[in-house]
Amino acid sequence: MTAATRRTAPARAGRSGQTGQSYRTERPGGRARAGFTLYLAGGTLAALVFLIPLAWAVLRSFMPNSLVTQAPSGKDFSHLTTGNYTGLIDSGDILHYTLNSLLVACGTGLLTALIATMAGYGFARFRFRGSGIVFALVLVTMMVPFQALLTPLFLEMHSLGLTNNLAGLALFYTTFNLPFGVFVMRNTFLQIPWEMSEAAAVDGASPGRTLVSVLRPLIIPGIATTVLYAFLFSWTEFVGALTFITSNNLYTLPLALLNMEYGSVGQVNFGYLEAGAVIAMVPCVLLYVGLQRFYIRGLMSGAVKG
Amino acid sequence: MLLVSPAFAMVALFVLFPLGFAVYISLTDWPLIGSYHFVGGQNYSELVQDPQFIHSVLFTLLYTAIVTGPIFVIGYAMAVLVRSGRRGAVFFRTAFFLPFIIGLATESFLALLELQPDSGAADYVLSKLGLASASTAWTVNYGLALTAICVFVVWFASGLTMMLLMASMQGIPSELYESADVDGASWWQKERRVTLPLLRRSIALSLIISVIGSFLAFNQFYILTEGGPGTSTEPVVMWIYEEAFVQYHLGYATAGAVFLVVVIALISAAQFYLLRDSDDRRPAR
Repeated sequence: MTAATRRTAPARAGRSGQTGQSYRTERPGGRARAGFTLYLAGGTLAALVFLIPLAWAVLRSFMPNSLVTQAPSGKDFSHLTTGNYTGLIDSGDILHYTLNSLLVACGTGLLTALIATMAGYGFARFRFRGSGIVFALVLVTMMVPFQALLTPLFLEMHSLGLTNNLAGLALFYTTFNLPFGVFVMRNTFLQIPWEMSEAAAVDGASPGRTLVSVLRPLIIPGIATTVLYAFLFSWTEFVGALTFITSNNLYTLPLALLNMEYGSVGQVNFGYLEAGAVIAMVPCVLLYVGLQRFYIRGLMSGAVKG
Repeated sequence: MLLVSPAFAMVALFVLFPLGFAVYISLTDWPLIGSYHFVGGQNYSELVQDPQFIHSVLFTLLYTAIVTGPIFVIGYAMAVLVRSGRRGAVFFRTAFFLPFIIGLATESFLALLELQPDSGAADYVLSKLGLASASTAWTVNYGLALTAICVFVVWFASGLTMMLLMASMQGIPSELYESADVDGASWWQKERRVTLPLLRRSIALSLIISVIGSFLAFNQFYILTEGGPGTSTEPVVMWIYEEAFVQYHLGYATAGAVFLVVVIALISAAQFYLLRDSDDRRPAR
């Protein structure tokens, strides 16, 4: 009881900082230590389940095809080579396919962030005639699986010249990332204390000005989330690319990998496939680890305090 | 409203129009090339008697029934583990979410290599544990392929559920837990009385995303089994894809697609309704 009162007192003082550091309560005595040990053990074990297969894939991508097609063994580690990567670059168009994926994913990420931020701001801050219906229509997209619209989309995009077209693919990806993006951005805007934009309005700032100057630092985590999802969605999206891209030089990475799986040039080279998959994997990991900072910062609490 | 018009235009062009167009195509015998004829409901009446389509529907349901529970339970447990912000939580969260970030398509290619008989890591590890023969060919046997893909997908998708739940867990005002502490509530009581009621919407969302994701399964089956052996592991989306872009029966395929759209819309609506209803019935105090 004493511990509890001690804990609540400072929290009361900073009443408005209700953003979720709430679990950081220290329990007194040995129970806390036992709990922490259990937490570390469970977390580490679970983390290994997720990380070992990925680390193994990276390791195997440095083994020659002759070893990848054999059961794992101790001698694997003495034959590491970059042969799969140099072989891929020399023999195929892996850099070209990577660039295709990169163009589509970056285009999708930026376009989604832009459109979703505008829409999220519009929906969160302004009520206008039909806003409920428009918001519902955008959200309906969340319930409409693009996988089920492949035939009408193929015919429509084909007649618009958007099939076998990386920009067309990016537009398609952007659309189906919008509901999530709009949802995230609307929630981000809704979580911002009204007083901040009201204060800006009192000072004579226009809605656009408020968005750029006052709210921007507060919505970056939301934008990061939107871009992250849009990029990751489109970087290795499969069924849409499979349907809308048939021309070999426009292949994105998963299509190039599929081509390797089918072994278009005779024998399937598992070493190359492994290395190609690792190439598809690495940017996702780097991008996410880079964007983690936006999550960690916990901008809301910082903004309220400042 | 100017701000929302780009979003609306995109949705109208690439979702609403195709949706209407899909219904129209499904009433025709649309081939890939050449003229089409209006055939009324013929595609639909053929569809409900098509054993291959029915099999793909049942297979998709089975697959969804298997993976949804484990994804939710594991995702929730991981969210509880990482929401505290204790030392290591960021690392754990990153590790748990990594498979989802890398994406199912890329990982399916990796899984394909590790499920190979005699050379894959799956056989190696399981044979060392005495659970399977070292030459088990996972992707060419119905039961084995389904098992392997389900385990693989739970591994892939739990991180997303964790992220969705964790985000809203951290949004719960700390005062609620503090007053529960003052009242002497146990961890489980706080979880049941504070966290769960406030998480209803996020739980609904994460379940909907998970179930819909399973209903739309394609990548893992296309890359790992190509629907085989035969068409035994062919989910609905692959049936649509094959029918439309391999057989060139666009009208017929689209009838199946319209069916899928309706089912998914109904599920979303039902889950939203159920969870919202119980939300309202929560005693107001």
